[in-house]
Amino acid sequence: MIHISLTINGERVEASVEPRLSLVDFLRERQHLTGTHVGCEHGVCGACTIHLDGVSARSCITLAVACDGRDVKTIEGFEADTQMEALRVEFSKEHALQCGYCTPGMLMTSYELLTRFPDMDPADIPKEMSGNLCRCTGYQGIVRAIQNAYAANRNET
Amino acid sequence: MKPAAFDYVRPSTIKETTEILAEHGGDARVLAGGQSLVPMLNLRLARPSAVVDISRLAELTTIEVSPSGISIGAMVTHATLEFSREPGRTFDILRKVASGIAYRAVRNRGTIGGSVAHADPAADWLSCLLALDATLSISGTGGTRELPISEFLVASFTTALQADEFVTRLNLPVLGANARWGYYKHNRKVGEFAEAIGCFIEDESRSVRRIVAGALSSPPVVLFAGAGGWPTNINIDNLRSAVQEAAPDVEGDHIHFHAAAVLRALHSGALS
Amino acid sequence: MSATGIGASVPRKEDWRHLHGKSTFVGDLSFPRMLDVAFVRSPVAHAVLKQAVIEPEDRARVFISADFGTVGPIVADGTIPGYIKTDYPVMARDKANFVGQILAACIGPTRAEAEDLAERVFFDFDELDAVTDAIAATEAGAPTIHPELPDNIFHRLELGQDFEEIRATAPVRVTRTFRLARQAIVPMEGRGVVALWDERVNQLVVYSSTQVPHLIRTALSEFLKLDQNRIRVIAPDVGGGFGYKAILHPEELILGALAWKLKRPVRWLEDRREHLTAGANCREHIYKMTVFGDTQGHLLGLDAEIIVDAGAYSIWPHTCAFDAIQAAGILPGPYQLSNYRVIARTVATNKPPIQAYRAVARPGACFATELTIDALAREVKREAYLVRRENLVPVEAMPYKSVTGKLYDSGDYRRSLDIALGAIDLAALRAEQKERLADGRALLGVGFATYTEHTGVSTSVVAWMNTRLMPGHEQAAVRIGPDGGVDIRTGVQSHGQGMETSLAQVASQVLGIHTDQIQVTHGDTALTPYSTGTYASRCMIMVGGAVGDACDKLIGRMRIAAAHLMQRKPEDLVFRDGAFHAESASMTIQEIAHVYYFAPAELPDDIDAGGLEIVGGYRPKIDSGAFAYSTHVAVLEIDRDFATVKLRDYVAVDDCGIQVNPMIVDGQIWGGIVQGIGTALYEEVRYDVAGQPQASTFADYLVPGCGDVPKIRLFKTETASPFTRFGIKGVGEGGAIAPPAAIVNAVNDALLPFGAEVAEVPVSPARILHALGEVGFSPGLVAGAKS
Repeated sequence: MIHISLTINGERVEASVEPRLSLVDFLRERQHLTGTHVGCEHGVCGACTIHLDGVSARSCITLAVACDGRDVKTIEGFEADTQMEALRVEFSKEHALQCGYCTPGMLMTSYELLTRFPDMDPADIPKEMSGNLCRCTGYQGIVRAIQNAYAANRNET
Repeated sequence: MKPAAFDYVRPSTIKETTEILAEHGGDARVLAGGQSLVPMLNLRLARPSAVVDISRLAELTTIEVSPSGISIGAMVTHATLEFSREPGRTFDILRKVASGIAYRAVRNRGTIGGSVAHADPAADWLSCLLALDATLSISGTGGTRELPISEFLVASFTTALQADEFVTRLNLPVLGANARWGYYKHNRKVGEFAEAIGCFIEDESRSVRRIVAGALSSPPVVLFAGAGGWPTNINIDNLRSAVQEAAPDVEGDHIHFHAAAVLRALHSGALS
Repeated sequence: MSATGIGASVPRKEDWRHLHGKSTFVGDLSFPRMLDVAFVRSPVAHAVLKQAVIEPEDRARVFISADFGTVGPIVADGTIPGYIKTDYPVMARDKANFVGQILAACIGPTRAEAEDLAERVFFDFDELDAVTDAIAATEAGAPTIHPELPDNIFHRLELGQDFEEIRATAPVRVTRTFRLARQAIVPMEGRGVVALWDERVNQLVVYSSTQVPHLIRTALSEFLKLDQNRIRVIAPDVGGGFGYKAILHPEELILGALAWKLKRPVRWLEDRREHLTAGANCREHIYKMTVFGDTQGHLLGLDAEIIVDAGAYSIWPHTCAFDAIQAAGILPGPYQLSNYRVIARTVATNKPPIQAYRAVARPGACFATELTIDALAREVKREAYLVRRENLVPVEAMPYKSVTGKLYDSGDYRRSLDIALGAIDLAALRAEQKERLADGRALLGVGFATYTEHTGVSTSVVAWMNTRLMPGHEQAAVRIGPDGGVDIRTGVQSHGQGMETSLAQVASQVLGIHTDQIQVTHGDTALTPYSTGTYASRCMIMVGGAVGDACDKLIGRMRIAAAHLMQRKPEDLVFRDGAFHAESASMTIQEIAHVYYFAPAELPDDIDAGGLEIVGGYRPKIDSGAFAYSTHVAVLEIDRDFATVKLRDYVAVDDCGIQVNPMIVDGQIWGGIVQGIGTALYEEVRYDVAGQPQASTFADYLVPGCGDVPKIRLFKTETASPFTRFGIKGVGEGGAIAPPAAIVNAVNDALLPFGAEVAEVPVSPARILHALGEVGFSPGLVAGAKS
């Protein structure tokens, strides 16, 4: 067992973990933060997307031990975030979710786009979201929601 | 899909890393960004006795630029290269290639050294670095050695690394200001691994001309190189012949795919 | 009428929890002392199993077939002519019949440790030749999978009659063979089960990611041999179903048996590799079509042969015969056809047991029929959409009885096609197509497909099958509570289609109150009336009708109370906007409820003792089916070098009757279309001759991503069904039906100048190049027009 010390959603967490424990399992099973979902365990579907040291990462192919000293944010850490709230409003308005399983990953990825790449050409949204699979929505509402969020940000500046 | 158990070590120096690797006699795996290794651990396709995390070796995260060469630390992420502000043609190529790797979340963590050491023939860096005629710095218990990438890549997922060695730096030339280059990656679906890669560099200031075909079932190959080895008129037919000669295992429609990828790379660099 | 009634795009009540990461999927549940389960799965496709080799120190934590001797086998049976019943052992007993079949269950404190244990368990076996081809499986000398099936045929079906005169005299005859590859369904959440014994209520409680909790309860009862009221099944949030979770799976029985035996909570969560291998179980059909027509391409007769590659076992409840029965019945499509004969065989192979994936056999049937129409059009040298249009059942003929006895209830199929045509500029596309042919750019193709589908499978349609999937009248419980708010309880399960919102809208429509005051409970057998569940695009029709019925009856009861309280005659009150109105007085539902609960002495003595809670019921009086229909158009480009297909434009013109929530309807169609695009372009699991699946991760099994699909242009019409409450038809599946047909018709349109034709999905680059190769073109020749 390896001792790790990290920050999760702004809180300091100390834990003793097996080297093979993935970050997503650590978050879900040990921290009871079940908003991050497991979809493939080989880094393709994006359902497990979190933010690691401020950038998006796939928690299913990240080892918890490798996160010692790091900063992790999950979907649960954005309750008071106005950009995330704006995204949520758009997702609901544009019917960008159905079963909800891929939704936290979609939000974490699109949040990063909006905040780190505010000047991105919205025509790039489909390509940028290709690492988050959805089986329910056909992506139509997801793309429109993110387009709207970009437009709203541009109108406000 | 959970991994088989393994030990975890996080060395603080290059020397310590080589000693740990030597101790495990080839049964340890180096963990850089984990984007290639951890899926294999999850699938139990890789079952090392230990995983050696080199992410805290700060010296591996630097990019050093001098007039005579560019040295990229093995732990430099694809995203860092994608957003690098360094001027010059070499970085133009690096930015372009990096930006097309997988998905953003993978680029945020995946490293150029990890990708090269993993030696998946479909990986973008292999073809790009071969076209650039890069050399690798490799550290072992006995010290450091340099190896051209063509010799480093032995076979699919197989490199020339000894049990106690790992890649520390990738060394690239500084291309001339007027160098021309092109990179084309063919895949069926956005973000997935390439099925054919074409890459070329033409740098008259250094008399370098190389055309590479990659994403074969074995490491990428140089189709044409040097001043004299390049036909005056490159077209799909002589590219197909070149692919067949350099990579005889390629069969059927794939010969055309590889030739077409190279031709599109040449077109994008306005060289054909 | 409330602003949140039928026809309003009410924002979904479900959204909040999913957007905040506060959903509860089965993997989110934790219970004290819970154990994780990992399965030992067969590494071979066909073998005689001998003994299990388990270390003594491991034995107590490994469970094999012999440890669960009284459990199952799963037997799917009914009174289906031509069907032979076989056993589906819950864990393989004497034989392993597909790669991925469960051999043993291993328990551990974590999934990782359970997998470590599973790696230490071995089985001795004698490998047998595998049966991997559904045609070869029926030939003499093929290895047999079940002793009851000497020629590996689960089910034979023959419908219609031969039409010798037409066969002899028809001027045009076109024959084609079409294939759909085996797919996996790939919901983003895999299946999962958490089972525990609840001592407080003396029940086995099974949480399952299922679409059909009441059916699972019935199955657990039958196959665990436990009284039904000793069992409770709960489907929490379910992350996508698409049919995958609408049948019984062995894992549900095994986990139930383990929980009962161990008296500890046990959990199994399907991982992606398990799903792509052991769950590669749908869509694999072959259609041999011979169509007879006149010189204009009008259909005179259709002779068809259908082969369903059913894998190794017949699934519960509706049997493996379901695909063929449905395909045979709908193959004539939305066309006027009087002469039809079909022979269908459902064949056993050493692959996972086939089950129905979104739209069941309709994508396959539509693929076969629509490609045949296009082939017929090419034969008579007319535009495909014209031949299609002239053959479609005209609106004047509605309701139209098809040659297979299906009653198409309402619809203007030709208008659907006309709207689709109007959405694209075909003349401009044809001009561009010619230019591209000449100048060496990517080839352009346009393809159409029209279908009609029976939504909401009904009693009379399946009664003759007598399987355990027997939808009768659907019930829904509606209660008006003390504050005038409404609770709806339904035995179906909503897993993305938004029924917590749309069913509330039905109640909102009838009762005239806001959906914010209406709560829908679903998915729990202890809390809800029996239902066969969510499948076959049935819920809005059936549960919508039942909720409507319950609300009607509640209004009737409240009318009597209101009349008494307002001192009017019941027939003099008008019910409107959530209240009973007289000329100078009114009473709201809330006020009436207050009396019921807090001042019952004020109610009339002879008031119905049932109070404000009613179980309503519904089945359409004419339950021959509500037929939704659609036309899709695909415009695509084919790269000349790589033969990759890029969808440039995708149009769907859809009619699902009256829409309850148009936004949700859009989502169902979009989602279905993109799954259809997956079927058309990307998804397949291939098998080698030894029956080994060739895809096990998303590196091999490609599903459409955001960058792979175009903006879908959706046009909707609303033609009410004359048979259903509110005129509703189903829409959950339809989007997935037409894309393979529209897309491959477009591919063939692009390849027409070369004389090449593709007849299989997924239409991968390899299949396009193969088709070109058959007529003498290699990629270089096609690409080399001008470079």
